[in-house]
Amino acid sequence: MSRRLTYLDYAATVPLISEVREAMHEAEEKFFANASALHTPGHLAMNEIEECREILAGLIGASSEEIIFTSGASESNNTVIRTFEGHQIETSDLEHHSIIETAQVYRGDKLPKLYSYMLVNNEIGEILKLPKVSGEKFTDWDLFKKKTEWGKLVFTEQKKEYLHSDLTQALGKIPIDVKELGLDYATFSAHKIGGPIGVGALYVRKGVPLKPLIIGGNQEGKRRGGTYNTVGIIGFKTALKKVIEERSWKKFDTSVRGLRDLLAKRILEEIPGSSLNTDLRRGKSLPNILNVSFRAAEGESIQLYLDTEGIIVSTGSACAAGDIKPSHVLMAKTGDAEVAHSSIRFSFGLENTMEDVERVMEVLPDVIRRLQGISTL
Amino acid sequence: MKEGQDWIYTDIVKDHFLNPRNFLMGDESKFKYDAVGLVGNPICGDQMKMFIKVNDDKIIDLRWKTYGCASAIASTSALSELAKGKSLDEALKISAKDIDDYLGNLPKHKFHCSVLGHEALADAIKNYREAKKKA
Repeated sequence: MSRRLTYLDYAATVPLISEVREAMHEAEEKFFANASALHTPGHLAMNEIEECREILAGLIGASSEEIIFTSGASESNNTVIRTFEGHQIETSDLEHHSIIETAQVYRGDKLPKLYSYMLVNNEIGEILKLPKVSGEKFTDWDLFKKKTEWGKLVFTEQKKEYLHSDLTQALGKIPIDVKELGLDYATFSAHKIGGPIGVGALYVRKGVPLKPLIIGGNQEGKRRGGTYNTVGIIGFKTALKKVIEERSWKKFDTSVRGLRDLLAKRILEEIPGSSLNTDLRRGKSLPNILNVSFRAAEGESIQLYLDTEGIIVSTGSACAAGDIKPSHVLMAKTGDAEVAHSSIRFSFGLENTMEDVERVMEVLPDVIRRLQGISTL
Repeated sequence: MKEGQDWIYTDIVKDHFLNPRNFLMGDESKFKYDAVGLVGNPICGDQMKMFIKVNDDKIIDLRWKTYGCASAIASTSALSELAKGKSLDEALKISAKDIDDYLGNLPKHKFHCSVLGHEALADAIKNYREAKKKA
């Protein structure tokens, strides 16, 4: 394709930042050794991993030993939910499937109880209020009562309720402080900030229980087995450094918000039958996500017409996901299947410019007019 | 996706999606039809309407409207090509498989929800015959 892509699917994945690519490429040669080994190359690789841990911890207001590296957000989410196997687990319809489906399989009726609520909704970008959990002590404790073969259990604190939040979409876009949010656990992913796919992290507050999902090996203080993904973690580290150096949440709040709001305004003004699913007010949504529904035009068709013009967006329509049901998030928010089927999510990143908004508005009105023109509705 | 193909659907589907045949744009009264048939509903994400013009028990012209995904648009467009010029009895024999074969096969999960146009056509033919009986 000769034309540059107009990429507006940053909420799904952020293209690898060039510095990340370079750092990972260098790491493949320089930090090849098994980071668990005692020899010098292993030790050097471990230093890199520990630096990433410190950077992430610093960014979110945690301490290094409270961070565990994983293969991504789904693993982090699964680890927390499965720690509470057989226990009460409260979550919402807006969560990622790696929370909803895992909780469906593993929840029970025992106490203590886990609350798992994401801070930011993936599809419409809504910033949600996390529940306040009780700090009440719970003495009739049976979670991990017996010694297991998984290694020593590092909790000292027995509470009646615990709180987990999936912060994958929020990281880098709004300031995060896990202590201020009152979190016991939090999930992160590298590829949503320009790092590689296949690396994530889990914040586990000191003293709270954790049952390893991957057993075998001493890595991560026996909290997550498996050889360290050094190259991936170095990619994550580089992306995190960039977030901090650029204070990316400031840029999201100003320039990215400006682009998002302009696109919203122009869509409403120029495209009949359009309505916003995202509340644009500051503090109500992430500044980079805009979810819009177009009456009588179906989401997958809109997405693919735009795709052939080099404009990349996502949709909550059933069809696009290889599913038969429309987005569970939009259904939960709007209760209207037609609105969900007709929805498009534009999600911006730091690389987007005014040119991208112009390009969308060059193509989108015609696409919608055409689809509405041949629609039965 | 088939090997070497850079789009989610086959080239034939892409062509019918990007350049649909025999669609009815805008106001339905622009096309003088003898009968119309409807299938699907917007809650499921797909709805099709087939408008037929009949002479001597033959579909001499037809138009369609679709609310739906790319494969719904492409499959209705393909059906309109398959049905044009056919006798009503022949047109009734067009199956979802015929449409799928014509398009070079849709992904399985799409086949069931988006290949519905032949049912709208059958509904139009039924309506045509009922109206004729009454006349």
